[in-house]
Amino acid sequence: MVRFPEHLYTDMRIEDVAETKIQYTLGILDEVKQKNYKAAFIRIFDGKRWYYSATTELENLQGEIDALAAMATANTGILQEPVVRKLETNIDDCLRFEGDRDISRISIQSKTELLNGYSGIISGREYVELWRSLYIDQRVTKTFLSSKGAKLTYDYQKAEVRVSMHLSAGDKKFKERFDAGGNLYSDLEGKKQGIEEKYRKAVSFLLNAEEIEAGDYTVILSPEAAGVFAHESFGHKSEADFMLGDETMKREWQIGKEVGTKILSIVDDGEKTGVGYVPYDDEGSKSRETYLIKDGVLDGRLHSAATSVDLNEELTGNARALNFEFEPIVRMTTTYIRGGEKTFDELVGEVKDGILVETIQHGSGLSTFTIAPSLAYRIRNGKVAGPVKISVITGDVFKTLGEIDGLSDKVELLSFVSSGCGKMEQYPLPVGFGGPWVRVRMLHVQ
Amino acid sequence: MQREKYSIHVREISLNIVQNSIDSVRKKDILKTGYRVYNKGNIGVVGAIGSPAGQAGEDKLWEKAGEALSLQVPYPCDVTRNKKEQMYFDCVLSSDEDLVHETEIILSDLKETQPGFSFSNKINRTRRLVELKNDAGLDLSHECTHLDFSLLVKDNGSSNILDLFTGYEGREYDREAFLGMTNSTCEAWRNRIDITDGKYPVVFFTSEMSYRTKLLESLHGMLYGSGSSLLSGKLGEKLFSDNFTVYQSRNPEDTVSLPFFDAEGTIPPDYRYSLIEKGVLKSPFTDKKTARKYDLPLTGAAAGEYDSVPDIGYRSIIVKPSAKTMKELLDGQGAIFAFIPMGDDFTPDGHFATPVHLAFWFDGEKLTGRLPELNLSSHLYDMFGKDFIGVSGDYFFPLGIDRTISMRMQVSKKE
Repeated sequence: MVRFPEHLYTDMRIEDVAETKIQYTLGILDEVKQKNYKAAFIRIFDGKRWYYSATTELENLQGEIDALAAMATANTGILQEPVVRKLETNIDDCLRFEGDRDISRISIQSKTELLNGYSGIISGREYVELWRSLYIDQRVTKTFLSSKGAKLTYDYQKAEVRVSMHLSAGDKKFKERFDAGGNLYSDLEGKKQGIEEKYRKAVSFLLNAEEIEAGDYTVILSPEAAGVFAHESFGHKSEADFMLGDETMKREWQIGKEVGTKILSIVDDGEKTGVGYVPYDDEGSKSRETYLIKDGVLDGRLHSAATSVDLNEELTGNARALNFEFEPIVRMTTTYIRGGEKTFDELVGEVKDGILVETIQHGSGLSTFTIAPSLAYRIRNGKVAGPVKISVITGDVFKTLGEIDGLSDKVELLSFVSSGCGKMEQYPLPVGFGGPWVRVRMLHVQ
Repeated sequence: MQREKYSIHVREISLNIVQNSIDSVRKKDILKTGYRVYNKGNIGVVGAIGSPAGQAGEDKLWEKAGEALSLQVPYPCDVTRNKKEQMYFDCVLSSDEDLVHETEIILSDLKETQPGFSFSNKINRTRRLVELKNDAGLDLSHECTHLDFSLLVKDNGSSNILDLFTGYEGREYDREAFLGMTNSTCEAWRNRIDITDGKYPVVFFTSEMSYRTKLLESLHGMLYGSGSSLLSGKLGEKLFSDNFTVYQSRNPEDTVSLPFFDAEGTIPPDYRYSLIEKGVLKSPFTDKKTARKYDLPLTGAAAGEYDSVPDIGYRSIIVKPSAKTMKELLDGQGAIFAFIPMGDDFTPDGHFATPVHLAFWFDGEKLTGRLPELNLSSHLYDMFGKDFIGVSGDYFFPLGIDRTISMRMQVSKKE
């Protein structure tokens, strides 16, 4: 039991981590790694400044706390400080991944066999010059304690498989990958057909993709592409730490401002299953569903305790740290576009000349967002036609939100394997993303 | 059986800056160690975070690494042998109090001289000790402390997340030089200018990744050897400009904090390995397994986490600087400085495009004015071939190691 110093706010996050990584390259086992470790991150606040320590010396937590306290200035009114008052005092045991759901109980042999089975689908296939398959899992049990009386134990788990392939036909080159991820081992089973399908599409792209003339096109984004678009173009702007003390941004981003078409709603939700599942954030706040955009109107932001005080809004459970080495900052959890009313066929059928983006390499965004497509196709006269090579698709963020004119009715939630969201030094954080198929009237294609 | 220990010990103080003030102080002291055992063509690796509990603790880790051999992960290469070398680099502002005090001074100064801007993000001092030792006579050690000033800058009248940045990574510090660089960047920001679409010399920081991702991918030994690279099968061919020379480098002149040895202990002569010489492809970069598999030269490009089996990865690929300053290379012309390119990519056959969130007009020495948001496009063979201008011999900022690189590109204004 540790002793928290008087006249200071203290919280402590202990992480008990188990991880597995298995990798094959061209049929050769590159890596089989299992690791377990326990470590802690301590925060102390004196009302003016935060003091943090990341430590693996768990037998000396009291020493670490005392050393941090010595850097701070005792504040007899600490409990009245607005940020401290805002912090929740939850007491809960929220363990969802125990027993049969605990991935660390699955043997390394089973995991290796699963991956090996998927590798076999690509191995030796025509045009595939280089392939790599990767299995990753992670189970984290967090204990959170605070001097206000918070006492939480909660767990998080992710499991991911990736099969990546480099194809070649003479001077023609192409690379593509298949990803599957979720919270449970069972989320990775039964993927052979998906890998086979991805391989066939990659071959078709390699052999048949044509250059596209740069210009403005109607673009239909897949759930993967639309999810990344929402994340990059709007999700980061909703992270309220970018607004701290910034009166201009607060004025520009007032709740109630119209920012997109009426059919558009974007949500962040830490309760959604998937790699963005976060029952409590790393300040001990309960996660919740937050509408960022509702029916085209700015409806909410993502907060930590400090930002919620600064903006006089409620906590949302979005203060997350990459791992025990970092402090929590405002991050997304699972961010997605809500579904609409059209079918996929209706969305495509209404396009005379456009582009369909099925998979992407990456995306990013500030005032202009970009998506780098991988598998992309021309749409002609309402039908998906041949594959096309595109470097990047760009658009002004707000203009694009206003150009969304069609959403399919089914939403798909996804995650990127072995990568995630980057924000300053904290990369890669697991996040979920997705949406329906989304049609945008006009985007610039290069 | 051979045993090898790879350890990384990081001690860091990190100041988080929010709106021109130090919001938090973070301290970190973390040791990570990989215990590797090699036997009969296989490798077993176990990692530990923190100090093991004495000799008994360490013995247990060696035992676990030995047990990991049963997983039969192949490693058909010999360990690096009989090499002993140490490097040590320190930096100024070596006490925590000095760093905090100096940070408060520069933030206070910027508040006064640049009231229209706010500054946020991180100022760090990091000491990293990397050691690789084995029972075949290998004893390599690299200890380096460096500063990382990384400040995001916002115009207080802007609703963007960020408008520009200032900072550097290095071991030296000079208050006036840092403030001078920051002030002149802010001045250039305030001076809006316009251009017409066309082909222009474009300048990047040499550390910028956007313009070279395809080159790095194409020089990757595994992709090259398997036939998946655009450059596969082209060893010895002249593919790029006469003044385009590229080497893989862990030379302290070229990097701030990278150890001089890779994760397998390979050290090329002068800590550099030539990949492209005067436009001619000499070699892709490789680690031991890749070199052996594809019968390629070993360049020393093994990477990986402390507890990983060493694998191929790139850390520092340098385009050789010229003897000329960028002003001399531009020969009296101005150029577009792509200060914040974002969202770049290449098509599979090498076409390049990127939006540029922030671009300046650059006279070869100074940023003189802010341009509108732009789009750039080119092709791998053009940007390092007929359109390649060169790498400056001088540094953009005297305290860091970032130079500038220039090539002509098609430029259009964002609509």
